[in-house]
Amino acid sequence: MEAVKNALDFSDLPKSELGIAVVVLAFLVSFPAMPHSSFAMATMIQFLMFSLYGMGWNLIGGYGGQVDLGKAQYVGIGAYTTAVMMIRWDVPFWFSLPVGMGLAVGWSFVIGYPLFRLKGHYFAIATIATSLVLKDLFEVWDFVGGARGLEIPLKGSFPDWLYLQFREDFYYYYILLVMFLIGLLYVNAFRHSRLGFQLRAIKDNEHVARSLGIDVHWSKIKAYATATAFVAAVGSFHACYNFNIEPEDVMSLDLSVLIAMMAMLGGAGSIWGPIIGAAILVPMKNYLGDWLGGQAGLAGMDLALYGLIIMVIAAVQPRGVYGIVEAVRARRR
Amino acid sequence: MSLLRVEQVSKHFGGLVANHEVSFNLEEGEVMGLIGPNGAGKTTLFNCIAGFYPPTSGTVRFNGEDITGLKDFQVARRGLARTFQIFEASGDLKVVENVMVGSFIHTGSRRRARRTAESTLEFLGIAEAAGAMMTELPVAAQKRVALATALASDPKLLLLDEVGAGLNPSEIEGLVGLLQRIHREKGISLLLTEHVLEMVMAMSHRVIVLESGKKIAEGEPSEVVKDPEVVRAYLGDHYVKRQEREEGRDA
Amino acid sequence: MSVVSGLLMGLVFALVALGLTVIFGVMDIINFAHGEFLMVGMYTTLLTSPLLGIDPVLTLPIAGLVGALLGVMCYFGLIRFLLKGPMIAQLFGTFGLMIFLRNLALLFMGSEPEVIHKGWLVGKSFIVGPGVVLESTKLAVAVLSLVSFAVVWWLINRTKVGKALTATSLDAEGARYMGISTEKMNALAWAVGGASVGIAGGLLVNFWPVEPGVGLLFTMIAFATVALGGFGSVRGALVAGLIIGMIVNLPPVWDAMMRLVDVTGLQIHSFKYTMVYAVYFLIMVLKPQGLFGWKQ
Repeated sequence: MEAVKNALDFSDLPKSELGIAVVVLAFLVSFPAMPHSSFAMATMIQFLMFSLYGMGWNLIGGYGGQVDLGKAQYVGIGAYTTAVMMIRWDVPFWFSLPVGMGLAVGWSFVIGYPLFRLKGHYFAIATIATSLVLKDLFEVWDFVGGARGLEIPLKGSFPDWLYLQFREDFYYYYILLVMFLIGLLYVNAFRHSRLGFQLRAIKDNEHVARSLGIDVHWSKIKAYATATAFVAAVGSFHACYNFNIEPEDVMSLDLSVLIAMMAMLGGAGSIWGPIIGAAILVPMKNYLGDWLGGQAGLAGMDLALYGLIIMVIAAVQPRGVYGIVEAVRARRR
Repeated sequence: MSLLRVEQVSKHFGGLVANHEVSFNLEEGEVMGLIGPNGAGKTTLFNCIAGFYPPTSGTVRFNGEDITGLKDFQVARRGLARTFQIFEASGDLKVVENVMVGSFIHTGSRRRARRTAESTLEFLGIAEAAGAMMTELPVAAQKRVALATALASDPKLLLLDEVGAGLNPSEIEGLVGLLQRIHREKGISLLLTEHVLEMVMAMSHRVIVLESGKKIAEGEPSEVVKDPEVVRAYLGDHYVKRQEREEGRDA
Repeated sequence: MSVVSGLLMGLVFALVALGLTVIFGVMDIINFAHGEFLMVGMYTTLLTSPLLGIDPVLTLPIAGLVGALLGVMCYFGLIRFLLKGPMIAQLFGTFGLMIFLRNLALLFMGSEPEVIHKGWLVGKSFIVGPGVVLESTKLAVAVLSLVSFAVVWWLINRTKVGKALTATSLDAEGARYMGISTEKMNALAWAVGGASVGIAGGLLVNFWPVEPGVGLLFTMIAFATVALGGFGSVRGALVAGLIIGMIVNLPPVWDAMMRLVDVTGLQIHSFKYTMVYAVYFLIMVLKPQGLFGWKQ
């Protein structure tokens, strides 16, 4: 019960932030009713997805302080579980979702145990390594369609709530928005929880944390597994939204990097950070890519720009956009 | 039954012998000092007891249980808390949140943890600092917060690693009073290692002296101070002879 | 003979890893963009050879120079600031650099893989014995790698500058008291690191196609090599490179894997590098110091 109270407790944040959050929420809820292009809708859906990815990543990468560059493998597990179960055994999304999450979390415990013996750069490289290994595996595994991936056929007629198949995007949008809100509340509960405090203590000083009875290794694994659950859930959704998936899509290093980049840009370790990061990078990626796509020969410019932004942020304000906000606020005090 | 029994603890780092067969008991309700010149192996002994690393040989028994070789977080959960000599606050946590980390050791509830943290801060007289960020505080206050955090974990025995370091005489006096209150009102046993001898002598029921990894003296402060071995360890041979000469003259 | 082939590739891996380990030895930072430096070296050689009308082998010094310049520029333009920040900043900084360089290459060079077609080193092989074919390209590349390695080793161990570099990597503050400027040493490390991997790229492009994404694979190989050899150890990079080269080229292992998974030759190619990733993981978990590491 206290967890629920924690989830709803935003009292430690400044009123101004909460005000903005409410406005943004109102916007998000009413967006489909406003006039919009299908491109804008697709962008909004992507924004919500990446916000959720980022929120999950933030649990281990932000609060936990261990930069994870291999989250995509869990997106893949979630997506493929849903896709395979839907194609082969006609399992509805609502059942395959928890199954996918369970498998992903299980796998995260398996590699988390050795993984968290490492820290910093070594840890990051190891996460890349494990993600690439899994992706390579999926690319040669016929059961999941190998490199070609899987295509999800239409199960019945639109709208289909069981298998999450809709013609209009706004169905997807609202389901995702609900997931987004649940995710946000969960993150809030998390940061008020014992594990949340323990992670912050660990990030501060591991030795001191241990002397206070914290099993550092195990706490990190728990945070990692929780982050995985988030990411896998969105993966499952992705499979239904996209109707087809392949390893290069859902398990690539680029995806892992994007997830981490957005959270970091917005401010890893803060509750709004991932959302801010997604809000900046997703529209930029889509609109810039669209504009540049019109000009052939400029492929790569948008990502080169990201690289540049990341470098600047890393050098100047590693705590991201939210870090800038906090710094400004501190100076005003 | 003693609260803490250290039996023949040795710690080797490769060829270096940091502790050699150190044994002592600490009774419940006692305040014990651990002193010795630099490099005597005090912090090493601390670390072995607290589980920071396991001793090479020997056993450590706490509260009747053999805790030799247990990891530091396991030891902490059994009621043995410690402070660190050097620590850097990295500014992410508020003071009260820092202390809450300590109180979370025995509860999963944020509400309860917060209440314990707040009452601990009040007990130590720094309740007003609760909402400040750690990095905003001066070092002396940060040390108090560290003390509060360790206290919030509700220990039976508190290992204090050179808490007096870097404090001026009036701060030391305040600290001594604080520690004595902790000891009296909370019933927590203390094991302090210190260079600030006035602190240790004023507070301890008994004192243990280490030199080059070995225990060379044990007893009440007033006795230990006169022990020629101790004098020799700290000050060198000719002071011992001088002391003996003076005592010979007074007799 | 695949053992020989493995050794030859291994020497190339070793040279690639050398840059990474030197930089790490001096300032404890891991360059995620290392593979991209390699790619730059590869493209440099690809372009300058027809431009100057000389054989690719002769343009190697240019690749080295470009690599060194790139390294120094990155140091002064980015790394210097990252060193002051938390680990997460360092990680992301070089990661951003990786994305930046890779996509810059995409922008300017397009995504088509290209390889050198003409040159002394290209496409020749000779028969040494029954069933044993040695690709002289790879042999020459390996020899040149070894030479480069020797040059760097000599630089580090026999010159005054090199000793200053070692001093900084052992104890930067102490070295500073002796008058050795840490800034200069850092920049030097990046120059040396950049040069060696630039030359490695110039050699590699003789038989390995270059495209903007080629860096990632070699970054991972370099990491695995440095992890195995020990972060900071030059000798370790050499030995580990050879080992990894052999792992990648061992047919019995791959035959076994082929029986497990029914795949075409193309997919085996990507699978064997999976082994490299797995090797990195295992080493870091089981023996993080690697073989010769004195830093962790």
